[in-house]
Amino acid sequence: MVQFGYNISQPRAINMDKNDMMISQKILRTMPELQTCIACGSCTATCTAGAITSFNFRKVHTLVRRGEYKGAYEEMNKCMLCGKCRLSCPRGINTRGVVMLIKQELGEYR
Amino acid sequence: MMNYYDHFILPFAIGVTVLFTVILYKWIRWFVRMPQEDRRLVLRGIPTRQTLGAIGEVFMESLLHRRIWRVNPLLGYMHTSLAFGWFLLIAVGWVEASLQLPGEIIPLHAHVFFKFFAPEVDYGITGGLLGNIMDLLLLFVLSGVALAWFKRMRSKALGMQRTTKHVLGDRIALAALWFIFPARLVAESATSGLKHSTTFLTGNLGEWMVNTFGTEAIMHFSVYAWWFYSIVLGIFFVAMPFSRYMHIFTEIPLIFLRRYKVHSYEKAKSFDRFQIEACSRCGICIDPCQLQKDAGITNVQSVYFLRDRRYNRLTQEVAYNCLMCGRCETRCPVGIELNTLRLNSREKFAAMPADNRYAYLSSAADRSSGTSKVGYFAGCMTLLTPKILRAMDAIFKAAGEEVWYADKDGGVCCGRPLKLSGEVEAARRIMDFNRDLFRKHGITTLVTSCPICLKVFREDYHLKGIEVLHHSQYILRLIQQGRICVEHGHNSFTYHDPCELGRGSGIYEEPREVISQIGSLLEVDENRENALCCGSSLANIAINDAQQNRISQALAHELADTGADTVVTACPLCKKAIARNASQEVKDLSEVVAEALGQ
Repeated sequence: MVQFGYNISQPRAINMDKNDMMISQKILRTMPELQTCIACGSCTATCTAGAITSFNFRKVHTLVRRGEYKGAYEEMNKCMLCGKCRLSCPRGINTRGVVMLIKQELGEYR
Repeated sequence: MMNYYDHFILPFAIGVTVLFTVILYKWIRWFVRMPQEDRRLVLRGIPTRQTLGAIGEVFMESLLHRRIWRVNPLLGYMHTSLAFGWFLLIAVGWVEASLQLPGEIIPLHAHVFFKFFAPEVDYGITGGLLGNIMDLLLLFVLSGVALAWFKRMRSKALGMQRTTKHVLGDRIALAALWFIFPARLVAESATSGLKHSTTFLTGNLGEWMVNTFGTEAIMHFSVYAWWFYSIVLGIFFVAMPFSRYMHIFTEIPLIFLRRYKVHSYEKAKSFDRFQIEACSRCGICIDPCQLQKDAGITNVQSVYFLRDRRYNRLTQEVAYNCLMCGRCETRCPVGIELNTLRLNSREKFAAMPADNRYAYLSSAADRSSGTSKVGYFAGCMTLLTPKILRAMDAIFKAAGEEVWYADKDGGVCCGRPLKLSGEVEAARRIMDFNRDLFRKHGITTLVTSCPICLKVFREDYHLKGIEVLHHSQYILRLIQQGRICVEHGHNSFTYHDPCELGRGSGIYEEPREVISQIGSLLEVDENRENALCCGSSLANIAINDAQQNRISQALAHELADTGADTVVTACPLCKKAIARNASQEVKDLSEVVAEALGQ
């Protein structure tokens, strides 16, 4: 089969009733501006760490917001905090603060 | 000895005992806990000229408060009169007591209550003279106390827009301090009146008191007056080592240690205590803080940060909410390393680093291009402002310089943002990656257009044999060597000093020289060491976009006031921040140079 460089994500469903939303809600309370995120992916497109690894800030953030915490700490630890995402964010979200916050809240999920 | 005892001296005696016990305990504890290399620095420094220099500095700063005179002369006078005046009262008072009090042994406290213990106040030939000198000194100190009262009501008259909001302990100590000298005046006057002294202040005031209220009443009153004086002294001395007034005795060892080249470091250590407790909470750091002025944040300034850290109440919110622009550090009259202390307070809040942090770097591909002894590190922020990258390319081409591009096609962050957030160990791994990259390609010169990268390259990379240059320095060198020619036009420019380049790395002149080769330079009011921050500083992870924007607006406004056609800066991050609110063009230095390139 010809490889075009695309692949298909595994089908999956997130059951929001089963997930523990406590931490997600706490993160949102601490940084309410996250509600304005439009998931445009500018952060991921400019990401320094994302250019070297599979780190995807948009994806990790989206999963954490839906209560999928597993692996989020390890993923966020790939971030170098360089701050390009904050400059490119069209909603002016303090993305570096989000990285620090998610790491702090999810440290125990390592 | 018993001649010099009366019950009322007890509060004073207890106060002094507590004061010196606590201070000695603190000094010894801090010194013993200092790391070996710091203690070695001190022991090696003691027999050198630095000790003499430190003694001079103690006189100039701890007594005369020379640096506060520079902030505002009236504020300087207030501090000088209180510190130097009180010191002279003690020194001259001691001379007076030892000359005039009878007995072989004069206990140390006798001069504090001299007028009470002296048989006759204007005793002997020197008595009248010394008595008048002491009155003059008391008046000198009282003028300082009056100014301190006045400052509570109208701080602006003393050059301070805002003053510190004090905690209860400080308020108690402050109130005691305010009462000490008026109490002394009243007690000494009462006794002088009874003993028929003729000195100009206490003598005359005492005479008036006796004439007005009668000898009997003043005799009764004087007992209470001396008690009151002793009690306020006692309260002040007990409060001193636990309040802001600990600075009086901490600044002295700090000056010596600093002269012996002991410094704070990115990790907290015992020497930090000397700096933290040397803060007098004068509040001079509040006015320059843009978070206070533009973003309305009033609880994070250095004075509050040091206070919280001293009493172990430091919250993450306060530790992280600082631009680390360094504007307060340049004004601090005690010369405390405020940025370093802020930085090393962050480590305990930073998430524990996993052992495999940045392990992916070991398999990261080398994406550098070209071969040359001259390396160019654009930095993340320059990669996000491609105009600067293109301008640098044009300059390299015009100069005929072969360049090794470290990260033109994407690279690894310099590590400073991570370090600024307190993850010092993790930052080290990133730094090691870049350093190995520089070594592998054998460069001897490293040019960067980002002051953030510049600072970390110079301070943490230990790049021996590689000259690290900011592009402003490099461009100036190219012009001076005649390798590129720039045409002088009619444009007017204003220059914004980036924090990390100016206060951070001490580069003020090079960008200005380059600009003056191209056009006329109009300076902003607050420039060089006093330059404003753009608000986008990577050191602050706490403020939101709106707050950043307000700081940037204030800066853009000031830059626009110069009336210059173009705003020039030398930091890609500053450029982006200013451009958000600027009414005129905002360019990086390299862009201006690239546009002016002649043949």
